[in-house]
Amino acid sequence: MNNLGIVDTKKIIATINDSYGLNLADYSLTTLRRRFSHLMGFFSISLVDDFVQQISRNNIGYQELLDELMIDSTELFRDPSLWRELREKYFPEIGKTVGSKIWLPGITSGDELFSLMVSLKETELIDKIRVVASCPSNRRVVKIKEGGAYDLKKMEIGEANYTRLSGKFEFSKYYELKGNKAFLDNSLVKNVEFDNFNISQVMPNKNYRMIIFRNIMIQYNLPLYEKVIRRLVDSLTIGGYLVLGNKETLDHSEVGKKMQLVNETEKIYRKRID
Amino acid sequence: MDYKAVIIGGSAGSFQVVTKIIASLPSNYPLPVILCLHRLKHVRSGFVEALSIKSQMPIVEPNDKDAIKTGKIYLAPANYHLYVELGNKFSLSTEDSVNHSRPSIDLSFFSAAYNYKKKLVGIILSGANKDGALGLKSVKDSGGLTIVQDPNECQVPTMTLASMNATNVDHVFSTKRIVDFLLSLA
Repeated sequence: MNNLGIVDTKKIIATINDSYGLNLADYSLTTLRRRFSHLMGFFSISLVDDFVQQISRNNIGYQELLDELMIDSTELFRDPSLWRELREKYFPEIGKTVGSKIWLPGITSGDELFSLMVSLKETELIDKIRVVASCPSNRRVVKIKEGGAYDLKKMEIGEANYTRLSGKFEFSKYYELKGNKAFLDNSLVKNVEFDNFNISQVMPNKNYRMIIFRNIMIQYNLPLYEKVIRRLVDSLTIGGYLVLGNKETLDHSEVGKKMQLVNETEKIYRKRID
Repeated sequence: MDYKAVIIGGSAGSFQVVTKIIASLPSNYPLPVILCLHRLKHVRSGFVEALSIKSQMPIVEPNDKDAIKTGKIYLAPANYHLYVELGNKFSLSTEDSVNHSRPSIDLSFFSAAYNYKKKLVGIILSGANKDGALGLKSVKDSGGLTIVQDPNECQVPTMTLASMNATNVDHVFSTKRIVDFLLSLA
């Protein structure tokens, strides 16, 4: 576990790029070393050379590789205090403008999306604010649209977070159990616009009032972080909000100066009027 | 030996020990001190404040991509893993919990060992599970110096004993000797 050297890691990065056109060179090295170790374990491969060969012979499907590569361990209502702040202050403000859009780029599970949709429903804004969700994996989109298929343990964490946020209802009203999985009410996401847009590769749409992009850029190196922040800032309306993870910052970015930190604890930034 | 960083892992029963250690370090201590302590993942505030009461060095929970500087104590934030990256920077991760822990001591120690190699001092304190044992082993295997708090002194010795089982640690020290040793590096 976790003993991949830099040379091996770079060899795997290059092979994945050659075979699938997926460029991972700008991802943080520690995370990649761990993800590759995880992948090798998942596919029961013990030697790096075997792993590289399996990839270059296309013995590992792209979707399968992508699925296992992605970090999928956020929580429903992670940081309840943020969700409280959003629903009490920010969503009502955004909802005042007809046709306002919120974007979730780069989701890998339904956690952020369902947290958002439950919040919009409970603030009676679900029909007023349009939500766009970008997910690189089609398989994951299918899973999200089916209600997430949550492990019960994970649902317990989400439920505890929801209780801390003092949601309006018993959280159990939002999901049902089938076998050993919990499925969230997928009518919550029926009007969500899904795409598999990848912000690191393509220029995004504009005029979003809010972008929620938490704990994704922690996987990026500095050049990719800078490039993506530029695109995020470009995609926001003047006065639009960018929500990051609570231990992320725009301080290391040049273009981040176009944003003003309006909530330091929850890392909510607002695009300056310039 | 010129060390570049000190990393300390602890869990149940380590709070008072950590407090004693950091209270003894002068404000101009020449190494960064990285703390990875098990903590409630949904309680984000209060820990830095509690540790800061007696510390002469500033204590911060780093943001992702922050540079690692001397004269500071860094505390792994709640609900993130804390990694040391090449280029002497921190990075954070929301990967799955390891040993039921996020932050996981093993993961912080792995990344620090990988980046600092023999220029790292790794210390494991009192704790109730085995998180940290493999981390300390990786410090040792990378040529760094390994210390565990004397299990006889630990409120809960599971973590230190697991570490001693995992690798041939360099020193088994009381809290006082840990402090003396760290001061000798200054």
